[in-house]
Amino acid sequence: MPAKYLEAEVRQEAGVAVIELRGEIDGFAQEALTAAYEEAEAGRPETVLLDFERVDYINSTGIALIVGLLAKARAAKRRLLACNLSDHYVEIFNITRLSDFMGVYPDRNSALEGAATT
Amino acid sequence: MTASGQSGHPDNGEGRRLLAELDLPSEPGNERQAAGEVAEVVEGLGLQPERLERLKTAVAEATMNAMEHGNGYRPEIPVTLKVFASCRELSVRITDRGGSPVPVPDQEAPDLMAKLEGLQTPRGWGLFLIQNMVDEMNITSDEEHHTVELVVRLEELERARGPEGGEDAS
Repeated sequence: MPAKYLEAEVRQEAGVAVIELRGEIDGFAQEALTAAYEEAEAGRPETVLLDFERVDYINSTGIALIVGLLAKARAAKRRLLACNLSDHYVEIFNITRLSDFMGVYPDRNSALEGAATT
Repeated sequence: MTASGQSGHPDNGEGRRLLAELDLPSEPGNERQAAGEVAEVVEGLGLQPERLERLKTAVAEATMNAMEHGNGYRPEIPVTLKVFASCRELSVRITDRGGSPVPVPDQEAPDLMAKLEGLQTPRGWGLFLIQNMVDEMNITSDEEHHTVELVVRLEELERARGPEGGEDAS
C-alpha cells in the first residue's frame, strides 16, 4: 500500500486560518504539517481550523503531531479546531481527549460558525 | 498474506484456526499494509465497519511498535502477523525480535494535559490506542521475541446485532 504523503494548503476564510489537509498524518507528515501551521500562524489569526476531509489515515505519531500543534496554539492563546473527521477518528479524538481541548465539528461550515460565535 | 484456507490449521487445541500468516519488512509505512491485509482476511467474519476500523488501527499501531521498538526498523528483520479465529474470538498475533524491553501499558498511559504543558513527550499513544481499540491485548515474550496479541470477541458482535440478527436499536 503506497504511502500518501501529507499535503497541506492554507486558506483564509471568515477570519479563520483553514489548513486543508490531504493524505496521511503519520511520521512523514511532520514537515508539511509544521510548515502549514507556521504559515497559518503568520497572519496572527485567533482561530486555526484543521480540515481533515481528505485525510484517510492518522496514526499515533500523527496524534503526537496534532498534540504539538495544540500546545503551540494554546501557548499563543489561539484556538485550534478540527472538522471533517471520520467517525473513527472522532472516536480517537475522544479517547485521547483531544476533543476536550479543541473543538471538533462535523464540517467546515459548522466549524466556521462555531469560530464566529464562541 | 499467506491464507490457510477454510479448513485452516488447528492451534494448540483451543479451537482456533490459523486463517493467515504474513511476514513484513520492518520499514516505516508498512503498518498500513499489515492493517489492510488483516482486514481482507477477516472480511468474512462479519465485523461491523466501526469494529473493523478499530481492529485496523490496533493492528497498524502494534505493527509499528514491533517494527520500531522490536526490530529497530531494520528491513531485513520481519514482523510476523498471524490471524486466528474461533467461533468466539478473532486474534491477531504480531511478533518481533524483541530488541527492547517488553512495554508495560499502564506505565505509559498518556496524559494529554501533561503533554500540552511539556511535562510528557507528545508521543506515547500507541499502546493506549491499541488497548482502547480491541477487547483484549496480551503481551508475551521469550528470549528472542515479543508478541502482542489483539483479541476481538465475536460474541460481543453477536450481542450488538441483537436477537433478530440486525443492529441493536438501543
